[in-house]
Amino acid sequence: MMMDCENVRKSLGAFLDEELNRSEAERIRMHAQGCPSCLAEKEQLERLQASLKSVLEGRASGVAFGPFWDGVRRRILEKKPWTARLWDWLRPALYPERLAWAIPVAIVLLLGIVSLEQFLPGWRGGSNRGNTTAVDSIDGHGFNVAVFRESKTKTTVIWLYENQEEEDESAAEPASPDTSF
Amino acid sequence: MELSDWELVRKCQEGESEAFQELVARYHRKVFLVVVGILNHREDAMEVAQETFFRAYKNIKGFKGGAAFYTWLYRIAVNLSIDFQRRQKRSATEYRETMDDLTDKGEGTELANDPYVDLQSKELGERLLAAINELTPDHKAVIVMRAVEGLSYKDMGRILGCSEGTVMSRLHYARKKLQEKLAPFI
Repeated sequence: MMMDCENVRKSLGAFLDEELNRSEAERIRMHAQGCPSCLAEKEQLERLQASLKSVLEGRASGVAFGPFWDGVRRRILEKKPWTARLWDWLRPALYPERLAWAIPVAIVLLLGIVSLEQFLPGWRGGSNRGNTTAVDSIDGHGFNVAVFRESKTKTTVIWLYENQEEEDESAAEPASPDTSF
Repeated sequence: MELSDWELVRKCQEGESEAFQELVARYHRKVFLVVVGILNHREDAMEVAQETFFRAYKNIKGFKGGAAFYTWLYRIAVNLSIDFQRRQKRSATEYRETMDDLTDKGEGTELANDPYVDLQSKELGERLLAAINELTPDHKAVIVMRAVEGLSYKDMGRILGCSEGTVMSRLHYARKKLQEKLAPFI
């Protein structure tokens, strides 16, 4: 019963506004007839609605057409400078609520640019990023093979070397400036 | 014979300014009612209501008649009012219209001659306006459009660019808030 009252109260406004379908409206009506608290709630809502209408309608008193139309006509005839028109157009986009959208949009754009860089290396033609350098190390039949590629000068160096002590790893670093190639 | 809104709109689109004047005459009071309900300030509401018709005039060629003219007009009015209020961010006290003007005239209200009833109505009116003023612009918009114009949820959804369910939920929330604030008086 309690839960039902809660649901009924949620729909009372829509019931009074005649926005419920016939079966829902009938359910609310039947419940309110047998439930004094829901009936009181419904009557309070009706009084609220009547007061709202009465008070708000009272505010439009004295709005004469003549002066109102003069104001509209003045605006129509008035030629605004282009800067004012541009500002009128831009202003709504600069409200804080709408600026909040700008932050996620900027993040998405930034991520998009970074991703583009990954999927299309060298898309920003002329930059150093097009100059890819790669060093691969392959272990083949007791020999270590290092392959060095550089796309800018189109150079490929293949380096074969014996497997030395593991602790001397730095000596096997093919990109080291001390290497003889 | 009185022309329909759509016929007047067509005449406006063909450049007949008298037809637009007729549309203003038909809707200026209703638009003002909605705007003043949201802004709660008479002078500001007058400015915004006039701006609403100016915008409508400027864009009338783009109105294709897909929706009712008043829905389109109210949409402009509500959007301008909400934008205006967000821009202004005035304090509640600054917004409050002098209720004395309203209730002393007693226009539009069913005030009896009984001074006790007058006082009660005046107090309720003041509290009601103060309570409305505490609602968010979106909630004010649905409360005002429903109370004053009796617009359907569907029309309000079109005006506000949201679903009927959202309108229903906003109305429920706004009424609940008003009931809480005004419980001893209604």
